[in-house]
Amino acid sequence: MFLKVQMPWNVIIPADSLDAKGLMLKKAIVIRLMDEFACKKATKDLGYFMAVTSLESIGEGRVRQNSGDVLFPVVFSGITFKMYRGEILQGVVHKILKHGVFLRCGPVQNIYLSHIKMPDYHYVPGENGIFMNDKHSKIDKDVIVRFIVIGTKWMEAEREFQALVSLEGDYLGPVS
Amino acid sequence: MSGEEEENAAELKIGEEFLKAKCLMNCEVALILEHKYEQLQQMSDDPMNQVSQVFEKSLQYVKRFSRYKNPDAVRQVREILSRYQLAEFELCVLGNLCPETVEEAIAMVPSIKQRIVLDMQTKGRAHDDDAIERMLNDLSLIKKFE
Repeated sequence: MFLKVQMPWNVIIPADSLDAKGLMLKKAIVIRLMDEFACKKATKDLGYFMAVTSLESIGEGRVRQNSGDVLFPVVFSGITFKMYRGEILQGVVHKILKHGVFLRCGPVQNIYLSHIKMPDYHYVPGENGIFMNDKHSKIDKDVIVRFIVIGTKWMEAEREFQALVSLEGDYLGPVS
Repeated sequence: MSGEEEENAAELKIGEEFLKAKCLMNCEVALILEHKYEQLQQMSDDPMNQVSQVFEKSLQYVKRFSRYKNPDAVRQVREILSRYQLAEFELCVLGNLCPETVEEAIAMVPSIKQRIVLDMQTKGRAHDDDAIERMLNDLSLIKKFE
């Protein structure tokens, strides 16, 4: 689910990019914020950081004693993406293995659907293996699949989420 | 949110802070990100170089998974769904997946059917099949006239 969130952040502006007239300050803060936002990629609580939509407020800057940089506490609105257990989403298949398939959904790259969680489907080996059920519904590369999230895991080192998903439920599976 | 074990979007247990947070439908995110992208395009010749991977992947995703493209239609979808006293989360799941039947809608958002009589707050918002049917009809009309 995409979320619109409001969050506080501390933006540090190096002394040399401070403009005497102050006209460029807001721009410098926004640029810095967007850079940091993009670098951070995601947090465990809020999910993936997509975009800064607006700067709500800029607090009073505090000069840091040893460097001369100025720290501004700001509040901004942004868009994030987070997956919830029990949520139903649609994703795109990007890799097929004998034991299951990998999907992408929004910014999340590692979504795993195990063959155990799609009991109607069986693996059909070949140059490009696929999964198929008795009704000839196919899970092939680039196919859109509707699934339910059964678990998510935050990987601190990569700053990414992994998710396990399932097709056990009504109206789940490949979407034409 | 006491423990992560309890999280279950199907029962609308997604943590107090997110229940109140504004959720966005794919089509709404597509409009916002496309607008951002256009802004970047005006500032630089190679805008794709300026955006993060997360932005790029998400833009591709929401473009592919938006059921409504026209900004007026997107606005109408939220307006119509808002009439049915849904939680933000429920509203967006319905707007994203566009179920065609009442049965499908309930499978996608089980909490819309939930009737917890003990809880006075939720008592009033349990939807009967007719209301869900009406809601789906309204949605399909927007799609038809888009």
